Amino acid sequence: MLSRRRLIGGAGAALALGLMPGGLSAAPLAKVKALGTIRVVVYQNNRPWSWEEGGKLVGLDADLAQAIATKLGVRADVAQLVADESADDDLRNGVWKGGLLGFTPGDIMLHVPFDRVFAARNDQVAIIAPYYRESFGLAGSGGMAVEAMPTEWKGRKLAVELDSIPDFYLIGSFGGVLAKDVTHYPTGSDAVAAAMAGQADAVLASRAQIEEGAHRSGGKPLALRKGPLPAFASPGWDIGMAVKENSRTLGDAVEEIVTAMGTSGEMKALFDRYGVTWTPANAAG
Amino acid sequence: MKGPMMRALSGAAALSLAVAAAPLIAQAPQGPTDADLMNDAASTGDVLTYGMGPQAHRFSTLKAIDTSNVSKLVPAFAASLGGEKQRGQEAQPIVYDGTIYVTGSYSRVFAFDARTGEEKWQYDARLPDGIMPCCDVVNRGAAIYGDKIIFATLDARLVALNRNTGKVIWNKQIADYKEGYSATAAPLIVKGMVITGNSGGEFGVVGAVEARDVNTGELIWHRPVIEGHMGTLKGKDNGITGKLNATWTGDLWKSGGGATWLGGTYDPETNLLFFGTGNPAPWNSHLRPGDNLYTASTLAIDPDTGVIKWHFQTTPHDGWDFDGVNEFIPFDATINGKPMKLGAKADRNGYFFVLDRTNGKFISANKFVMQTTWANGFNKAGKPNYIPEGRPPAPGEGKGKPVFASPSFLGGKNWMPMAYSQDTGLFYIPSNDWGMDIWNEPIAYKKGAAYLGAGFTIKSIAEDHIGALRAMDPKTGKIMWEYKNKAPLWGGVLTTGGNLVFTGTPEGYLKAFDAKTGQELWKFQTGSGVVGSPVTWEQDGEQYVAVMSGWGGAVPLWGGEVAKSFKDINQGGALWVFKLPK
Repeated sequence: MLSRRRLIGGAGAALALGLMPGGLSAAPLAKVKALGTIRVVVYQNNRPWSWEEGGKLVGLDADLAQAIATKLGVRADVAQLVADESADDDLRNGVWKGGLLGFTPGDIMLHVPFDRVFAARNDQVAIIAPYYRESFGLAGSGGMAVEAMPTEWKGRKLAVELDSIPDFYLIGSFGGVLAKDVTHYPTGSDAVAAAMAGQADAVLASRAQIEEGAHRSGGKPLALRKGPLPAFASPGWDIGMAVKENSRTLGDAVEEIVTAMGTSGEMKALFDRYGVTWTPANAAG
Repeated sequence: MKGPMMRALSGAAALSLAVAAAPLIAQAPQGPTDADLMNDAASTGDVLTYGMGPQAHRFSTLKAIDTSNVSKLVPAFAASLGGEKQRGQEAQPIVYDGTIYVTGSYSRVFAFDARTGEEKWQYDARLPDGIMPCCDVVNRGAAIYGDKIIFATLDARLVALNRNTGKVIWNKQIADYKEGYSATAAPLIVKGMVITGNSGGEFGVVGAVEARDVNTGELIWHRPVIEGHMGTLKGKDNGITGKLNATWTGDLWKSGGGATWLGGTYDPETNLLFFGTGNPAPWNSHLRPGDNLYTASTLAIDPDTGVIKWHFQTTPHDGWDFDGVNEFIPFDATINGKPMKLGAKADRNGYFFVLDRTNGKFISANKFVMQTTWANGFNKAGKPNYIPEGRPPAPGEGKGKPVFASPSFLGGKNWMPMAYSQDTGLFYIPSNDWGMDIWNEPIAYKKGAAYLGAGFTIKSIAEDHIGALRAMDPKTGKIMWEYKNKAPLWGGVLTTGGNLVFTGTPEGYLKAFDAKTGQELWKFQTGSGVVGSPVTWEQDGEQYVAVMSGWGGAVPLWGGEVAKSFKDINQGGALWVFKLPK
């Protein structure tokens, strides 16, 4: 079936109004404190942000969820959401309505794109607290001319995540000359691991995936391309969090915490533990 | 058997008892046999297969209810599926030995007394909350065999229940729901094997057809439908599907799509299974040059080995989500003075195909919807005459400028099965006239990361209708009559020897039409939209008609301006059974 990123605007909103009993609404700040628990939604299998290792949920978002809960003086109930076909759908499943099969919405969801156009069409939620600037980057092993024109990479093994902007760029650009050289992996993190293990000459993935992958393997870091990729579709994006539209008291409290973590150096330290350079969101000013 | 008596039996005695009992069981079958299933179209006292016969004609020779008296049809009873889980009810009932078996939304099975409507038992599958069904939590029906009722679940399992008690006999995972697989189709049973397709909207899913032992659920053969993948038979390699990289670039065949989510039909005459395959991945066709075999195709498969005997691709290099899963219905007709074994399929792409079912040779393709913007007919070789402007652009090109495409991605015909009358020689197609605006969506995100998506909105193309039930003459390609419906049609069709055609509407009606003229003769309001498939059978000397009511399925999930046509329809979940008053 077609990739379904289309519960855009009107239809989604109309559905929301009819299907949101008050009892299920995510608790604003006072309720979270009274309950002593905040339900934080993160993505399932989203290394380096949130993934399971040895039966334990780890990652940047997992740690951030714990940090926020601690500062609110409550316990974190971290729930893993299976990504649907668009982040718009994820907000519906994870924040304002819940899943069709019974996934309980969270009080807050992490790893939500902080983008004005995206926010405008998802008016059931408030998108808050931008905490990182993400972007895609190309990294290659020794002997790979990472700064060269991409067409010169013909014949080299290029690793990407299946069905991603890096995938579309490498198989579709330049008349598709690199299409045969691309190997697809289930996640960007897997693509980085392949490059670190020498199974691929270069990888096009998110910067966090590349840095954490190098840090994890302890091997020689890949060389990151400094120049922009010609005609590449994404300049990067900010990552924030989402609360239900009527949970702004909670949103404001979390935003204060996140801002303070940035200023105090705590956020940088949290990212350092995974080998990822903390880059403040553009919108964080 | 009581405990003390069991303990009293020595090992040898128990063994001899078992040996003695075996022939008795064989002599007294506990339910429908393979032969019964193959004879389902002719046996009027039951409904044993999805499609009312392995060829899925959905035709009954019963004629107690006919054009002269159908207006008097009244409910015998209704049975609610209850609970809060009232979503789309797309199932076709199975009727056997005084019991009606239906599946419901959220992977549930119900057994109702066929005379009173009282519930005998109910089975609710326990579903994990991590399933992401693309198109509502529907199920299209169960299969019956011996003492078993077998159905597929949203978390991609096959479950065999004892048909008298509803207790689980076996329960097998057929694919991993965590990888995006699901299952909603009714299983097909042929030669003691359960034959299933697979479904999944997620990227990375590869379509396959599988056969399992009906008594144990153990895999017998596995046939991937994308070229390059290895098939298996009894645990051993059984040849690659197609030829590696013949119509795919790089390693894209590994995640090529082609889900066989609607199941299949079987033709005992040619001993062939017919399965349709879904559209290719990725969605953007510019990234995957080539025909992308065998996506958007009909495949003929040998049920004994799982080997593909022929294929016909209805939408080569699909770029519109015209997946080719629709049912291929075997029928015989005389073409140019020559009696032929044929098969027909009304495709998502708006064309009605007739093929030689012995070899897949193209006979004809005729439009059954108002408009096809993607192609202007098919040439003699069976290839579409593409309209280049009708292909959605590659992401990054023509940014923001929508392309209008018709049919919409929901298709000229979606999952809902058509019927073929052996009396009139016509196919009755539940179709929809609608288009879509499709554009590149530059601000899109997937799993929290930037992505290049497509946005689209479904649009009406006619003032007075979206749905249209059409009678197609397969020999001429002419539409003999049509019934227009305001909301999209989403339910299956039944035709009978009483010169009748039955189908349901989202507005909540089950309707009956004159099979020759299309004149509407009867309707009944069931209280919620009808998106299931009606059946008919004879019981205690009377003819019965049954259908599921319960609005849902993919249509209400996508909306657009089309949503106006069904905004006042409420959800439900009930089995309705009708007969003539005495």
